[in-house]
Amino acid sequence: MFTLKGNRLPAADVKNIIFFVRPRLELMDIIAENVLSEDRRGPVRDFHILFVPRRSLLCEQRLKDLGVLGSFIHREEYSLDLIPFDGDLLSMESEGAFKECYLEGDQTSLYHAAKGLMTLQALYGTIPQIFGKGECARQVANMMIRMKREFTGSQNSIFPVFDNLLLLDRNVDLLTPLATQLTYEGLIDEIYGIQNSYAKLPPEKFAPKKQGDGEAKKLQLNSAEELYAEIRDKNFNAVGSVLSKKAKVISAAFEERHNAKTVGEIKQFVSQLPHMQAARGSLANHTSIAELIKDVTTSEDFFDKLTVEQEFMSGIDTDKVNNYIEDCIAQKHPLIKVLRLVCLQSVCNSGLKQKVLDYYKREILQTYGYEHILTLYNLEKAGLLKPQTGGRNNYPTIRKTLRLWMDDVNEQNPTDISYVYSGYAPLSVRLAQLLSRPGWRSIEEVLRILPGPHFEERQPLPTGLQKKRQPGENRVTLIFFLGGVTFAEIAALRFLSQLEDGGTEYVIATTKLMNGSSWIEALMEKPF
Amino acid sequence: MTWLWLKESQKADEYLREIQELGQLTQAVQQCIEAAGHEHQPDMQKSLLRVGLEGRAGQGWELSLLLSGSSQAASFGKCFLDRFPPDSFVCMCQDLRVLNAVRDYHIGIPLTYSQYKQLTIQVLLDRLVLRRLYPLAIQICEYLRLPEVQGVSRILAHWACYKVQQKDVSDEDVARAINQKLGDTPGVSYSDIAARAYGCGRTELAIKLLEYEPRSGEQVPLLLKMKRSKLALSKAIESGDTDLVFTVLLHLKNELNRGDFFMTLRNQPMALSLYRQFCKHQELETLKDLYNQDDNHQELGSFHIRASYATEERIEGRVAALQTAADAFYKAKNEFAAKATEDQMRLLRLQRRLEDELGGQFLDLSLHDTVTTLILGGHNKRAEQLARDFRIPDKRLWWLKLTALADLEDWEELEKFSKSKKSPIGYLPFVEICMKQHNKYEAKKYASRVGPEQKVKALLLVGDVAQAADVAIEHRNEAELSLVLSHCTGATDGATADKIQRARAQAQKK
Repeated sequence: MFTLKGNRLPAADVKNIIFFVRPRLELMDIIAENVLSEDRRGPVRDFHILFVPRRSLLCEQRLKDLGVLGSFIHREEYSLDLIPFDGDLLSMESEGAFKECYLEGDQTSLYHAAKGLMTLQALYGTIPQIFGKGECARQVANMMIRMKREFTGSQNSIFPVFDNLLLLDRNVDLLTPLATQLTYEGLIDEIYGIQNSYAKLPPEKFAPKKQGDGEAKKLQLNSAEELYAEIRDKNFNAVGSVLSKKAKVISAAFEERHNAKTVGEIKQFVSQLPHMQAARGSLANHTSIAELIKDVTTSEDFFDKLTVEQEFMSGIDTDKVNNYIEDCIAQKHPLIKVLRLVCLQSVCNSGLKQKVLDYYKREILQTYGYEHILTLYNLEKAGLLKPQTGGRNNYPTIRKTLRLWMDDVNEQNPTDISYVYSGYAPLSVRLAQLLSRPGWRSIEEVLRILPGPHFEERQPLPTGLQKKRQPGENRVTLIFFLGGVTFAEIAALRFLSQLEDGGTEYVIATTKLMNGSSWIEALMEKPF
Repeated sequence: MTWLWLKESQKADEYLREIQELGQLTQAVQQCIEAAGHEHQPDMQKSLLRVGLEGRAGQGWELSLLLSGSSQAASFGKCFLDRFPPDSFVCMCQDLRVLNAVRDYHIGIPLTYSQYKQLTIQVLLDRLVLRRLYPLAIQICEYLRLPEVQGVSRILAHWACYKVQQKDVSDEDVARAINQKLGDTPGVSYSDIAARAYGCGRTELAIKLLEYEPRSGEQVPLLLKMKRSKLALSKAIESGDTDLVFTVLLHLKNELNRGDFFMTLRNQPMALSLYRQFCKHQELETLKDLYNQDDNHQELGSFHIRASYATEERIEGRVAALQTAADAFYKAKNEFAAKATEDQMRLLRLQRRLEDELGGQFLDLSLHDTVTTLILGGHNKRAEQLARDFRIPDKRLWWLKLTALADLEDWEELEKFSKSKKSPIGYLPFVEICMKQHNKYEAKKYASRVGPEQKVKALLLVGDVAQAADVAIEHRNEAELSLVLSHCTGATDGATADKIQRARAQAQKK
């Protein structure tokens, strides 16, 4: 298994070569290069290509134009739409989805999302109710209904696992990803980036495996690790106490060996050793990560940035040029950081005053280069950075109705989802929460302010498959974020799932696991 | 024995028990059932089959129902044998019923049981279909409960294919008749029927039939074949399958002339945006034409900006591309973008001149970095000039200079600069940047000039904890006091810490 790279293929004594690729044109060029630079004198190899998740005419056309289409014995598709990342989390990992849908009017990823949902329904039963908010959500629901008609023949006889499907457009809630996530997992992602559930961390704080081991430490992060499952969704400020408690428990467990007197007791102790050692290793890792994060979160700049973010989200001074942002630009802080803040301000003010907007734009262009005019335009098209129209700021209405800002937030023992951003309750998750109780009818007014239609569709089930709910049994909602979801939002949904009287459990699906930075980065355009 | 039993002879029971004792009853029953299969006369079939059942009253009529009537299931609980599997009996009854039906003189297919088994039901159905005996075929399917896809649907599809060949019936009537019969029957492919209709030269009928086809993937290729590309396009768009849309687009592109093609796209926004994506990768010039056609000056502007970086090498070419972009932005009434682009042109020319006159790399630096590079190169005058020309705000210019001079470690110049006028960014940044370069001596110079609000912070930065404490106490600011306290390290700052604690205590007393 090799990563796709230009030029000649790595030498290997094999007959068959299979390319697993996303159907993207630039990848076809690389593949063609690979095939064409094959040694003619060498052994003849058989090439096969598997498109994930679907074959594409354009790609095959491109291969044909490059004169290599005939070299492929098999051209097939591997329809892997939704990839499971955890027990409650699926992602299509399509980083371009947001840009394609909202900037380029290309709905390919929505089609794949609909296909993925059909597969999911084929496996876990027809989902009787579909709710949605946003233009893309509407499209996906339409496609699903259409696809269902195409399969009228095969009646799905599986007892449905999901009670509801909630489709949410990312552009209904542009705010949340822009804010810095403050959960443990969210911060790991913000600072080091989590790619395909792996994080690469600086090695200094970890015990080196071998001498001169200067490489980044790569750690897999998912709920299979007991400790990580416990702390991933906590506010970072609540992680320290859990870690120290765990440390005490583990060292006490190791002390037990002194009490083991009889052979039987020793045997029992030894049998627990592997588990204890794994727990100790896991604790050591997370203590190191927490230290790394703490270095960042206790820095003055992090504090200043957070203060500005929180001011914006609670509606303070969103209508004038912000000093901190100005200073960040003047000191040439990373452009993505600046863009995140400016966009956050714009979203929290339903667009900026023309004068303020132009000032920021000019500052950014002069400092970071005029080529970024393309990026700024993209952000404008996506609605992230825009002039205020109609001179009305709707954000305060939305904030108050949906209770997006909570002053009394409990980070240690949270009572509300706002703990994931230490005060700000993610809009998207609030919508989900209000849908399950008391229903969207209570917030019609706000729903009308937010972009795109909201709707409800029913998929009738044969009587035999209709659920008879036991009292106290939770509903299961599949919530699909079209355009990406952040770890903090996932944490907030898990928090809702775990609430004693919540009544709803959530399974989360998305086009991409992302954070504000990777999101903005995908929208940036670098012409050189 | 059979005869004895049928005649209700008492001997029958004796024989029967004898056979049972020999353990051959199962075999005997099985043989009777099979024999029935090879019998052509229904009466004889019944008799043989009846043997399989107990001869009690009430059993006979059930059997005759099985062979001629409508009841399909018989109760076998009353069998002589315990646990004799009823399957073979039921199958035989069903097979015989089918055979008797096709042997009927109206139909006239005198198949033997063996022939039938050899042929399989599928082939028999095919033969019936060939003879256009659709109703019988469907009845058989329903009777045998064949899965719809193999059975009823398939035959209906055949019927429909035959129906479309009836040239004397109008398109509407045929389409309606077919839809009435077929409805949403699973497994029926309307596109296959439509293909047949098209094969018979009935294009209009084919299109009507395709309307009933729920799978766009099936509709589109046929529509393309029938040269109904525009209809195909809207069907493809409806499906949401972008690959299908591309299929049609590429087809249309070859089929229509450029003008018509563009007009078609114009009416289909989704197709248009997809085609734009395609052009972005494959045909940049076409992309430009598309924007031109729509008078989309904003996108045209962006297009030329991109071109100025990607396709143009020489500076003149780049400036020309930018000029086109700026013009487009003006047309788009995007004054900001137009002005910014003109600034970029000005900067490019200037950078070129700087490279010629001073050497070094200037092209494609941002304005900010150009000024920084000039300062780093000691060209302060030019830097000043540039900042004035482009109206860099004072605050940012101060940050810029501060950073550049500290990078140079030109402390003398930095001091001169700090005194040139009152700093618009205060003096804390001066302290910070000196400390960053580990120059405590210089940092201290600026610490004294820091305004009262940030004084404590500045003093702490340069490590003057004692003085920081004094200032904090003077300010009576609790936050500042605790900040200083957190900086007190046990051994050296003991006295200071005590002082703060005393001040705190005093403050509390009041």
